[in-house]
Amino acid sequence: MALLEIKNLHAEIDGKEILKGINLSINAGEVHAIMGPNGSGKSTLCHVLGGRDGYEVTQGTITFDGHDLLEMETEERAVAGMLLGFQHPVEIPGVKNIYLLKEALNAKREAQGLDEIDTFTFMKQVRELVASMDMDDAFLHRGVNAGFSGGEKKRNEILQMLLLEPKLALLDETDSGLDIDALKVVSEGINRMRGEERGIILVTHYQRLLNYVEPDFVHVLYKGKIIKSGDKTLAHRLEAEGYQEILEEAS
Amino acid sequence: MRQGLPDWLKTALPQTAAAPATIARTAREQVETLGLPGLRDEEWRWTNIRAIQRGNFSAPAGVGADIEPAIRLPLDNPLRLRFIDGVFQGVPNDAPEGLTLTALADADEATRQAAFSPKPAPSVENPNDALVTLNTAMAREGVVIDVAANATIERPIVIEWLDGATESVMSHPRVLVRLGQSAKATVVEHIETVGDQPAWRNSVIVSTIAANAALTHIALGLDGASRLATERSFASLERDARYHSYNVQLGGQMIRREYDIHVGGSGAHTDLIGLMMPRGKQVLDTHTRITHAAADTTSNEHYRTIADDAGRGIFKGRILIEEDAQRIEAYQSSNNLILSDNAEIDAKPELEIYADDVSCSHGATIGRLDQEALFYLRTRGVPLAEARGLLIAGFAQEVIDEIPLVELRDWLSIRLEERLGEQDLAGHETE
Repeated sequence: MALLEIKNLHAEIDGKEILKGINLSINAGEVHAIMGPNGSGKSTLCHVLGGRDGYEVTQGTITFDGHDLLEMETEERAVAGMLLGFQHPVEIPGVKNIYLLKEALNAKREAQGLDEIDTFTFMKQVRELVASMDMDDAFLHRGVNAGFSGGEKKRNEILQMLLLEPKLALLDETDSGLDIDALKVVSEGINRMRGEERGIILVTHYQRLLNYVEPDFVHVLYKGKIIKSGDKTLAHRLEAEGYQEILEEAS
Repeated sequence: MRQGLPDWLKTALPQTAAAPATIARTAREQVETLGLPGLRDEEWRWTNIRAIQRGNFSAPAGVGADIEPAIRLPLDNPLRLRFIDGVFQGVPNDAPEGLTLTALADADEATRQAAFSPKPAPSVENPNDALVTLNTAMAREGVVIDVAANATIERPIVIEWLDGATESVMSHPRVLVRLGQSAKATVVEHIETVGDQPAWRNSVIVSTIAANAALTHIALGLDGASRLATERSFASLERDARYHSYNVQLGGQMIRREYDIHVGGSGAHTDLIGLMMPRGKQVLDTHTRITHAAADTTSNEHYRTIADDAGRGIFKGRILIEEDAQRIEAYQSSNNLILSDNAEIDAKPELEIYADDVSCSHGATIGRLDQEALFYLRTRGVPLAEARGLLIAGFAQEVIDEIPLVELRDWLSIRLEERLGEQDLAGHETE
């Protein structure tokens, strides 16, 4: 059974249909890239999968790890193992990173029937991850993303993923706003998450990230539909020829 | 047409007051005409003080000294100045060197003159000043805190306002805080309602801060649903003086707190930091007025209000920069959070600038919890109610983090968390 199964998904916002019949199947152990021009519905798909208010699913089903995803609250999806990496991670001054990390990890453990993590183990684990993402310990005591640069925010997203070990990581434009050094660190983080147990979806406009994280499958999203799927060579073609060629071919 | 004083208040005017005779006599005459402020007065149009007008309060007949606050602040070896229903319970006998504590009743004429001559002087024409004038006419109780030049008092000086011990009592205490040159001290107001009786305290604190001295003034309005309070703090600053004010209001039925800060010497600086969290039917109101009367002075003001249920929060911040006061830096921000449809917040900045070389800014925001942030936290597995709690606590924490006493900061954070735990945070979303 697929980890994530999307069938004929239609969704609208403010009465305007954005997703017009998406079909997608993702297995554990696979990395999928969803590419598409601006306005194709990439972010909407991420928001629908995350359970954001204001997006109405009018048709179709989404099954995640055997659950009917559309019946679950946002936080239930998270503790069931689906983690959304934001295109624009939100700044929350006043709430410390360390506090959010602990709350998030304990929420997941509680859902799994485990006790709260002990502080010593937690701190050790977090410090190792912070170092591996080329970040400073001081960041833990700053407000969540507060005053972070674009690169720091994205590193923080990956750091959370590495700690929370989701079954499905959904990364929305994670490469946007990154300089080359940050892109490498973030890519290394994503590559470390790859594994038999985990599915990864990279939603991106450009092919750049895919030079560092090699996808197993590439899908082209256009006007709310997946119009073409293929292997990583599809991404190379998009880079070389642009979207137009592929769009014409598909139509 | 002003109403004049209600009869119950008129009959309570004392024959002898702590103020020097001429000041007391003038104040008496003024209050009989001024009466109490009301909704028609510009400065009171958001704050209904009917509960006081109809209160029929009487002066305390004298209460037992065995009343203790229910709340223990985590302060290191504090010096306690306790007022029970406004009645001063005496000076501690272990004041450190450099600190002199005197009951107002025992103070000499010149000291009492100072206690009743704040700067800027309250105006007879201004109904806003009716309450401070009333305090002048009524005050018999109070304390004088004198810090000698060059003395640094490490122990926090705690004024405990324990209100509501007896029924329908009003009080009009007066406090004078004087810091000599280069002196340093911290005064904490511990404000708590100790009984369930309605009570009204109309207190005035006058602080004078000499050159290069620094006063930290923390006010903590804690539990007590029935407390009515009108509180006024004056501070005047000489050259290079510092006045750091922190105002946290959590309890009380109707609390009106006012600050008048006279920044009168070059190099002087003041911080006014505040947090108000009205819920239920609480009305929590702070008015601040900063006067930059000298060149090269600075002020930094940061207030936050979080209103839940049918609570009301009011903040009005006035900054006046006088004509000859050049090279001023004055910043004010007022950020407000509304948690329920029935809550209300009024925020008004007011700048009056007569100098031309001035860097001055203000900003006021009123909003609901950030939906984007709420969604972000939930995508990390944090349940809705908890996510709301985190955001609210985080919003408040940014003010609490500015309080210089670390043990007090931590204590307030925990208290806030407990308080949020009592509130229903799950069901307010109406996105």
